[in-house]
Amino acid sequence: MSRVVVVKHEGALRGESISVAGYTAMLYEALTALTGETTEAASLHKLLPRGAVGMKTNCLTGKQNSTPAPLVEALAGVLEAAGWKPTEIVVWDRTNRELQTAGFKLSAGGFGRRCMGTDTNGVGYGSEFHSFGESSSLVSRILEEVVTANINMPVLKDHSIAGLSGGLKNMFGAINNPNKFHNHNCDPHVAEVSMMDPIRSRNRLTIMDAVQVQYHNGPGFDRRYLVRYGSVILSDDPVAADRVGLEVIGRLRERNGLPSLEKAGRPAKYLQTAAGLGLGQAELSVLEVKVLVMDDKGHVRAGELL
Amino acid sequence: MDRRLFLKCLGCSGAAAAAAHTYLWPEFLGGIQNAWAFGDDAKLSQVEARYYKKLDEGGIECELCPRHCRITDLERGYCGVRENRGDVYHTLVYGRPCSINIDPIEKKPLNHFYPGTTAFSLATAGCNVNCKFCQNWEISQARPEQIDNVELSPQGVIDICKERGVPTIAYTYSEPVIFYEYMYDIAALGHRNSIRSVMITGGYIEPKPLNDIFPHLDAIKVDLKSFREDYYHTIVNGELKPVLEALVQIKKAGVWLEIVYLVVPTLNDSDAEFTDLARWIKAELGVDTPVHFSRFHPQYLLRHLPSTPVTTLERAWEICRAEGLQFVYLGNVPGHAAESTYCPQCGEVLIERRGYRVTLRALKGNRCGHCNHILPGLF
Repeated sequence: MSRVVVVKHEGALRGESISVAGYTAMLYEALTALTGETTEAASLHKLLPRGAVGMKTNCLTGKQNSTPAPLVEALAGVLEAAGWKPTEIVVWDRTNRELQTAGFKLSAGGFGRRCMGTDTNGVGYGSEFHSFGESSSLVSRILEEVVTANINMPVLKDHSIAGLSGGLKNMFGAINNPNKFHNHNCDPHVAEVSMMDPIRSRNRLTIMDAVQVQYHNGPGFDRRYLVRYGSVILSDDPVAADRVGLEVIGRLRERNGLPSLEKAGRPAKYLQTAAGLGLGQAELSVLEVKVLVMDDKGHVRAGELL
Repeated sequence: MDRRLFLKCLGCSGAAAAAAHTYLWPEFLGGIQNAWAFGDDAKLSQVEARYYKKLDEGGIECELCPRHCRITDLERGYCGVRENRGDVYHTLVYGRPCSINIDPIEKKPLNHFYPGTTAFSLATAGCNVNCKFCQNWEISQARPEQIDNVELSPQGVIDICKERGVPTIAYTYSEPVIFYEYMYDIAALGHRNSIRSVMITGGYIEPKPLNDIFPHLDAIKVDLKSFREDYYHTIVNGELKPVLEALVQIKKAGVWLEIVYLVVPTLNDSDAEFTDLARWIKAELGVDTPVHFSRFHPQYLLRHLPSTPVTTLERAWEICRAEGLQFVYLGNVPGHAAESTYCPQCGEVLIERRGYRVTLRALKGNRCGHCNHILPGLF
């Protein structure tokens, strides 16, 4: 049974921003709840092989609704505390411009953590096509050659074609030709891209930002459909993490009087395709979903998804 | 790159001179190299696109090609070069070619269009289909920020043509439909300066933009990739029907038209398909429409297939000739007799070709010097 952990931050639910320390506390709760280990370090060692670790962000909307820099900072700190060297931590996305606009400081070399886009000079995409089913792409050399494992750090939001933009869809930012894969609600392409060897073999963990969730008119930013959800969603099953995210989007749409994604003509059917390919579990009823709510003093109690 | 250096590069032929510009102008050097080097976003144009409508529910719908991509903010169409920014659709490649060259017109190929002349040939990144056999996939399947581009305005193109004495501009290599605005403005300016324009296209375009550009074009070559809808779906990632409609539209408009059919072993090389193709061309376009059967070589996503046997191309040639087509050519087979143009009335060699070497034989003006038969095309 796949496990998904949702950690809510009460302050964030009220509209407060979350500090690096706040995210660190959330990650501790989430990682230990996910793995059953007693420390976040033990959890990370259980989830990740040794070697360089990538953190694939989603910076499409710049500062407005991208993977929060403090969340990335917190995770990098947790990794370093667990024994990873700074040079083994690689924050990345498709372009330097997007990373910078979202508030990240670029650093492609030196002795510290790395932060770079695939468009960094000398990086780019690999030379060999990876094909799965109907989809063929070149994959970022960061994923192919730089890291041995990847933590997928998407932003939970609606997608006007795919229905859901979560972890699997975020991997479109790892390939050279995402524009070719948006027909038929991105199905089966989202699933097939995640089946491509460098992506499937590297992705070990999804940490999805859901502090503010845009439930309609995504993936571009639209303030009218943005609500505070105050959460981070974690799972080592990429399909399960997305399935819980989809449930959140669906309930927010219903609560706000919008038709379901199915009625809107954009069901996230790629999740079923992904499950069929063995990427993970897409049936909500068989998932173990643990919802934790963290109060202002750091105390944690069980909560509800919505 | 400044314009002086650019012009110098365009004229260079020595290896030492060329080496400095391998990065920018690989086509000029005989092959695409280092195509996945990156430019930066500042090199993208932000010119409003034509042929789109804003949707009531937000987002836009592109009306340039039959895909009709519906695109929300910050997303791009299938072509990868047109982006919605705040519900204003932009072309990112206006004035940003990634490949330029001066080619023989026969390379397009156009065999009935001022033979032996040259064409200033240019392309931007992007394409509205994704052919598994594409020989220029490094640029056609790239987004513009993924490859190097230069700034070159329509006036800049015209200036180069004048300085170099090049009579024709060819929009080619990738798919000019996706850089329509740039092509349109160059072609219109070209005609005002007595410079011709030819469009080398897959023909996957909506009737309105196609019709609008006719007055500024002198010839169109269409890659008809198959005569089967399922091939278009599985190998091309497009549709056959709109392409056939575009062919008929071009013919009716009186713009000079030639067709290329890339013969891919086992996929589009049956007698039945060649026969259906020939009969359709005869019925809808006329027997005087030139058809080029081109040889496939393993490329891109079809590297597992062999090159097309020349005998297969000859079989296509024989079938089309038997069906009555008058001008059937074989391409990518240098030295083959079917590269040349023969008078359909007396059989005399009118234009002899060996690769891109062209010799006018019996052609006098636009007539056969032997029997006075008129050769269709522009000469």
